[in-house]
Amino acid sequence: MTNRSGRQNEDPEAQMARVWGNLPGIGTLAAVNHTSVGLRFMATGILFFLVGGLLAMLMRTQLALPQQTIIDASLYNQLFTMHGTVMMFLFAIPVLEGAAMYLIPKMIGTRDLVFPRLSALGYYCYVFGGVIVLSSLVLEIAPDAGWFMYTPLSSSDYSPGPGSDFWLLGITFVEISAISAGVELVVSILRTRAHGMALNRMPIFCWYILAMALMIIFGFPPLILGSILLELERSAGMVFFDTAGGGDPLLWQHLFWLFGHPEVYIIFLPAAGIVSTLIPVFARRPLVGYHWIVLAIISMGFVSFGLWVHHMFAVGIPHLAQAFFSVASMLVALPTAIQIFAWLATLWMGRVVFSLPMLWITGFLVVFVCGGLTGVMLALVPFNWQVHDTHFVVAHLHYVLVGGMLFPLVAGFYYWLPHVSGKMPSYRRGRWGFWLFFGGFNLTFLLMHLTGLLGMPRRVYTYESGLGWDWLNLLSSVGGFVMAIGVAVIIVDLLLHFRFGEKASRNPWEADTLEWAMPMPVNAYNFLSMPEVSDRHPLWNQPEVADDIVTGRFGLAGAEHGRREVYLSDAINGRVSAVVRLPSNSWLPMLTAGALAFVCLGLLLKYYGVAVFASVVAFLLMLRWSWKNGAHPALSPRGECRTEPAPLHCETTDGPGLWGMVVALMADGTLYVSLVFGWFYLWTAAPEWAPPAAPPVSVRLLVASGLLLTVAWGCYRSGVSRLKTGNAKGVATRFSLAVGLAGAHWLVLVAAMLTGDLQPQSLAHDAVLLVVLIYLALHGGLVTVVTALQVVRMRYGYVGRELPYEPVVVQPLWVFSLGAFWLTLAAFFLAPQTWTVG
Amino acid sequence: MKSQYFAAPHLVGGLVVWAVWFVVLYSGLSVACEFAPPAPEAGAYTWVNYLMAGGGLLVSACLLYGAFHCFRALGAGESRSVDSPQRFVRLVAGGAYLASAAGVVALTLPVLLLPPCQ
Repeated sequence: MTNRSGRQNEDPEAQMARVWGNLPGIGTLAAVNHTSVGLRFMATGILFFLVGGLLAMLMRTQLALPQQTIIDASLYNQLFTMHGTVMMFLFAIPVLEGAAMYLIPKMIGTRDLVFPRLSALGYYCYVFGGVIVLSSLVLEIAPDAGWFMYTPLSSSDYSPGPGSDFWLLGITFVEISAISAGVELVVSILRTRAHGMALNRMPIFCWYILAMALMIIFGFPPLILGSILLELERSAGMVFFDTAGGGDPLLWQHLFWLFGHPEVYIIFLPAAGIVSTLIPVFARRPLVGYHWIVLAIISMGFVSFGLWVHHMFAVGIPHLAQAFFSVASMLVALPTAIQIFAWLATLWMGRVVFSLPMLWITGFLVVFVCGGLTGVMLALVPFNWQVHDTHFVVAHLHYVLVGGMLFPLVAGFYYWLPHVSGKMPSYRRGRWGFWLFFGGFNLTFLLMHLTGLLGMPRRVYTYESGLGWDWLNLLSSVGGFVMAIGVAVIIVDLLLHFRFGEKASRNPWEADTLEWAMPMPVNAYNFLSMPEVSDRHPLWNQPEVADDIVTGRFGLAGAEHGRREVYLSDAINGRVSAVVRLPSNSWLPMLTAGALAFVCLGLLLKYYGVAVFASVVAFLLMLRWSWKNGAHPALSPRGECRTEPAPLHCETTDGPGLWGMVVALMADGTLYVSLVFGWFYLWTAAPEWAPPAAPPVSVRLLVASGLLLTVAWGCYRSGVSRLKTGNAKGVATRFSLAVGLAGAHWLVLVAAMLTGDLQPQSLAHDAVLLVVLIYLALHGGLVTVVTALQVVRMRYGYVGRELPYEPVVVQPLWVFSLGAFWLTLAAFFLAPQTWTVG
Repeated sequence: MKSQYFAAPHLVGGLVVWAVWFVVLYSGLSVACEFAPPAPEAGAYTWVNYLMAGGGLLVSACLLYGAFHCFRALGAGESRSVDSPQRFVRLVAGGAYLASAAGVVALTLPVLLLPPCQ
């Protein structure tokens, strides 16, 4: 018998392996599969961790004894800046994202993340961005203003070299990766869970990752905006943070910490998710207080955004305002405490099996609770002032971050290791690594609390003898090296286990979640048939599910048609609603990330022609990317005989693309709101704020431009409404009209900018206006192009009466662009006139 | 809370209100101190403090009503089943409303003690 791919009697497993596998040889770089991309994220993150650790060892060597001259002040500044930057941006977040990308589809019972090419794009942006940032260190021009890059220290007056530019451009590039992962994970968790996996049956790890992904969506844009503004100030001379032109350096601190504090929880939540997953497995009982923990996760996601000013207690904010943030900083301890008590209760009520992952979980509980307690101390304003910028803060943040993230991460590595290698880790060898790391860590950082209390400031490259800090620093440095030996032992242990580890059976830890229902090492497609679940602990309470998956009892078994398929399910109750055809291996993500890397390099080296050219190339590649989508014949040929009762997603109006668009617009909206915040902040707080007597841009032209966009939106909306009712007549005309009107809107908007009298290099007021107008022009241009693309796709038959999907996906972009336009007119042009007149 | 889709946003509804209240408190205080600062000698007994305390009470009352609404719905329709997603959403949403109400009270408490602009 010959199937459609022309292969005779190909068994379903071989069929699936062929369809879902990576290309051979160098073609593996075109992989978009979540298993490959997730593992690459983690492997690359570990490499960056080793670099960051090396930098830390250099610093500890310098500080081991007083008045040493091994490293000079300039290099030391670069070292601590790059250590923080590498650990936070290039290790902690990416490695956890990688773990989430790898695990989530397996846990929710699907075969891949819902936007696989986006995963691959994120990975390449991360790698290229990371290499750009690290290259500055090799060239000895690394940023040296600290990992939070405070202005004016990071501004061109005090940091004239390219170090700050490397940080701003490179890290922004890496952040594209984080936001891609955020969008991807939110939509995948909400819309591609196994049939029957309602919200209350979702593995607890997925709740943590959902919260983390949403926090990335809302947390990263303020820093992206801050980086764009600072880079514009440094390279184009625009005024945002310079008081002389009406800017304010504190605006940078607000934008940075609006990102920076949630970042701590973005790192902690997935790690806590690992703890909440492992403890029930080794306690041999369900997690105590599932509902309470879900509530704690959601609360933590919100409250963590209300703490940012506690990093700014020393900048002169009124006491009452400080009290608000002090209270919020203490409030966040409550959801954390709920989780810790739930973990302890689970252990207390279970029959604990002590294994290597549990050793690391125990280490986590000890270290993280200590870090949490010093966090509550720092939430108190008077104490905070006393230890501000001392080594006490350094010790606290390492207890929280290493305790709260690294210990659970290593526990997770050991726990899921059989997935990758098919072999079990050894407790006998692994405990050496743990004890060396645990002992070294506490020797370094427990003593560092005391060093800080004795007054040693952070970020000094040396110190006088006789201040009482000598022995503490020496022991901290010894502890640092013991910790480094511990890391080396862990790495050797991991490598040795590939050779000497015992072969792992299926579900070797007797876990409850679906990722253990597959053979090990795992295959590329996860599940031969798509599982159905009726319980929160499928492998405990539905043990037959593993065999049913392998025997093809469930849906979408096999891939005779040669395409990658997964189910789309309801966000609340997990019922299957459609079949999604996912794109296969593609070079487009790597090429697009490569083009974006050239944009970054062009801006860094001030070859602006190269940057513009590379931007155009990246945009064209993205258009090509969007072309092979939805109902494109490569994915969903018309008239294809299908056996599934559920429709294809491109035949519906509720596909994953719509959700992806909405989530991406949440990030976009947060960037916009951050800009509005900056505008009002400067207006009320900047000491030299000087608005011109009349608006520097014609308000009449702006209103005309807005009216054109509004009419264009009306045409587009009318076309989409028709498509939704199954009537394609006149839709192409309406869309074409929308394109023409949106194009006219864009031209009038650009004319308003060009004919205006903006002075962005001397007035912060005009600089912010210019940025918001460029933002609107980018959105106006984007809706014009993507709507024009819809018109063309209608002609090709990819959009129509039975294929209404894509115009529905574009619709939220229209709503957002229109809303942002009128809100801008009101907030940036009309409201200030009222105040000025008043 | 009749349909499941109406119920789901309640999971975050209370905390969104808490977050908005936080922003209103912080930004409102900044604006008030910039444009109409009360006399320093008035201490905590100023119109700014009264406004914030009154607002806090009102917002927390609304959140408590939200919690009551969610918990009351537990006995209706599909929520009666222990394993139903509707019950789960309403239970967690009710808890979130309750926690948010407590959070609003906690955030607003300092206005009873501290002067607004010093």
